Amino acid sequence: MDTAICLDDLSVNFDDRFHLHHINWTIEPNQHWVITGTNGSGKSALAAVLAGVGDIEQGTLSGLPSRVGLVSFEAQAELIAKELKKDDADIMDVISLGTPVQEMIFDACADPELATDLVEKFGLSHLLDRAFRKLSTGETRKVMLIRALSSKPDLLILDEPFDGLDVDTLAMLQQHLASIIETTPMVMVLNRFDEMPDFITHVAYLEKAADDCGQLAFKVDRQDKSAFAELYQLLHLKTTDLQVPAPDSASKLPSLDPDQPLVKLTDATIKYDETVIVDKLNWTIEPGKHWQLSGPNGSGKTGVLSLITGDHPQCYSNDIFVFGFQRGNGESIWQIKQFIGYVSTSLQWEYRVSVSCKNVIISGFYDSIGMYSKSTDNQKKIADEWLALLGMKDRADQPFNKLSYGDQRLLMIARAMVKHPPLLILDEPCLGLDDMNRQLVLALIEKICAGHETTVLYVNHHAEDQISGIENYLALEKNH
Amino acid sequence: MANYFNTLPLREQLAQLAKCRFMDSSEFADGVEALKGKKMVVIGCGAQGLNQGLNLRDSGLDVSYALRPEAIEQKRQSWKNATENGFVVGTYEDLIPTADVVLNLTPDKQHTPVVKAVMPLMKEGACLSYSHGFNIVEEGMQIRDDLTVIMVAPKCPGSEVRAEYVRGFGVPTLIAVHEDNDPKGEGLALAKAYAVGTGGHKAGVLMSSFIAEVKSDLMGEQTILCGMLQTGSILCFDKMVEEGVDAGYASKLIQYGWETITEALKYGGVTNMLDRLSNPAKIKAFDLAEELKVIMRPLYNKHQDDIIDGTFSRVMMEDWANDDKNLLQWRADTAETNFEKTPAGDVEISEQEFFDNGILMVAMVKAGVELAFETMTAAGIIAESAYYESLHETPLIANTIARKKLYEMNATISDTAEYGCYLYNHACLPLLADFMKDIKTDVIGKGLSSDDNGVDNARLIEVNTALRSHPVEAIGSVLRGHMADMKKIV
Repeated sequence: MDTAICLDDLSVNFDDRFHLHHINWTIEPNQHWVITGTNGSGKSALAAVLAGVGDIEQGTLSGLPSRVGLVSFEAQAELIAKELKKDDADIMDVISLGTPVQEMIFDACADPELATDLVEKFGLSHLLDRAFRKLSTGETRKVMLIRALSSKPDLLILDEPFDGLDVDTLAMLQQHLASIIETTPMVMVLNRFDEMPDFITHVAYLEKAADDCGQLAFKVDRQDKSAFAELYQLLHLKTTDLQVPAPDSASKLPSLDPDQPLVKLTDATIKYDETVIVDKLNWTIEPGKHWQLSGPNGSGKTGVLSLITGDHPQCYSNDIFVFGFQRGNGESIWQIKQFIGYVSTSLQWEYRVSVSCKNVIISGFYDSIGMYSKSTDNQKKIADEWLALLGMKDRADQPFNKLSYGDQRLLMIARAMVKHPPLLILDEPCLGLDDMNRQLVLALIEKICAGHETTVLYVNHHAEDQISGIENYLALEKNH
Repeated sequence: MANYFNTLPLREQLAQLAKCRFMDSSEFADGVEALKGKKMVVIGCGAQGLNQGLNLRDSGLDVSYALRPEAIEQKRQSWKNATENGFVVGTYEDLIPTADVVLNLTPDKQHTPVVKAVMPLMKEGACLSYSHGFNIVEEGMQIRDDLTVIMVAPKCPGSEVRAEYVRGFGVPTLIAVHEDNDPKGEGLALAKAYAVGTGGHKAGVLMSSFIAEVKSDLMGEQTILCGMLQTGSILCFDKMVEEGVDAGYASKLIQYGWETITEALKYGGVTNMLDRLSNPAKIKAFDLAEELKVIMRPLYNKHQDDIIDGTFSRVMMEDWANDDKNLLQWRADTAETNFEKTPAGDVEISEQEFFDNGILMVAMVKAGVELAFETMTAAGIIAESAYYESLHETPLIANTIARKKLYEMNATISDTAEYGCYLYNHACLPLLADFMKDIKTDVIGKGLSSDDNGVDNARLIEVNTALRSHPVEAIGSVLRGHMADMKKIV
């Protein structure tokens, strides 16, 4: 392949069953791609587009080489269906055995020598005379692979090529693929990152835009180690059935009266000099009712939050009821903070101290920034579970401040959630994050909202970052 | 008023100087109970006053602020600080008579007039608290017999006191009871509860005496903490520029260098700070520090002598009486130094490079910390106090330089510290003039060349042994061990 394959704003319709929208993608010669993504995002569809499948509705697809080798379940099913049809179509009263494997492989084969070699290596020698349609699924898959490889394609498309192969065959295939990378560009669909061969240079991540519709969300160069790691986590979060780790049974929060609001602000006012930032706000947050708080910069969003958390000094000159405490009656802020999980950019900035990732999570049990107490074994275990959930197990002992911004944010959410607080405050949790990290954070928050113990207070002005499950909205306006 | 310390017999002076004990966390099991429901009135709403008040209130205590009528009428900064933070503010007459505890958190200089104004208004049997013992010890203020007098002194600037509390921690704190004024024997309980209210108990509390606090605090702040860093900044900067190092680079190396190298000091003492250097650089730094110690020892002795016999406070108070003429002149001069006027360059300096190219700075910190510690302990101050007032606080001051150079440091420190720093700087600059003549960029600015790679084994062993066996290292490892929990934050 000498020229690049270009998909320019390409939208493809697959029999109205599925659509790919606005794909922009360039595959340069010498690049080897993996396509990955969530279930139903169109990974196989995109791979098939390169083999000429689907109706182009918009945009252009250029540079496709003439010889494209495709191995996929769909192609496999199609081939088998074709074979069965041959049988049906036989009008003579003889039993058709169908096309023998020998013929499937060697008819129209560009490199019989290679095919022979592969038949040997895949252990199909004894099956050459058998009818193709009599083979097991694994065996037909092997035939497909041999056909594709020995056709000397200019582009090889392998959709989940490693599924169902035994260990030895898998190693053999990987080795063979590695031996042809100089001459044959490859595009693979893989669901599992750990199966990715070393020679893969790029990863494309698809995401489900709506039902029956997928789009290409990110393209990552494998050289970019941090982006690659984030993609790994994202895939992990999106494709695993996540269980939020249990709270620490030894450090149970005092129970709250379920009939009382979590928070009640009455005529809450914040002012500096004569400038009124928040003017007589009345707001009640009942348990289980998730809220989204929005407003332009300077409308006092963070101020209102800090009245609730006790971080705002004027909380003592306001009528504030939180978690059973009427503020200003001799309660300490730690009695308030124990009920709150809090995530914000400024809190993340406070973590300039060198703390290990694991201790950042554990510090959530103590409402402290950094660890000043000895943690229990159970707390460590819970932190490990959170790290595993975030796909960050291997980073437990790494210093927090050496992580990417997005990873730090994920850890902050875990820190906030570790004690299963009655109220989780997310103050612009996606601020400053790139698309991939934004996806990661939102995926995690949705998992949390789906639980029932925690009431979420979500602050954001990005309309697109909506979280399913939030039904109450408070919009603040600029007063000054 | 006579200098209180000088009125005591030698035996009592020595006993008071030697008072210092690291308290066990179990001694704070009662939390803020002793102060619960009591009315705490803070006088002064500067950095310490405001931030301690915020912490105490967040710990569930009743805090309000008494300000002078002018401050209230003219809505001065102190009034704004207090009201914007939602505190009750009133005049002395309004609030002091209701107070169970009066927290005097005004600058040292104002203590005499403030205490004289407040004392007659205080109710019978109330408590008067200080954050610094200067007024009692150096000025000899006599407090009414029925009043309890305590000291709670967070060993950090006010902003840190608040920041650490908000992070769920606190700063190391020194507490003391003025034994002449503890009529009901409740001084210690009140001081402990107060330390808990500011979060200090989480970082470690030292039980000391007014005298040990004053004499060690003054010594530390004027020599190693402020004086040495100020003098070193100016000397190192001018030397680098003279030797052709880019001024922006030099400015950055110093502004952030103190913070970086003393971070290593905070973790593992002088030993760890020098261990961050290559072997040849370590030997170089050691030798330079030895040389500096010989040159500067008489100066450290003089500072300590003047502090112990009261000369320092007398001279300073004379300058106070003279409208701070000397101090203000010096403050203006500092603003005009080339280091202060040259902004840090837009260059990347890696953490290790601060060590490699700042060998002389490492040597200065080592010499200053050890001299201050040695001089204090020789004067009868016990090792615990001496450690806190020298090594422990150095990184805190270095942080302020990183923030906004010497200006920020001098703005943050107390007026006694600034005056002491002024004296030290004046004496130390000429003292080190000859020494600096032989200094080249290999020890400040550029680092050792790769030709200087060899070390003599015997010499290296000697240096390592000397480093590790210094008494400040022995007490340091014990005290840092006490603060095992703190290790993780730092």
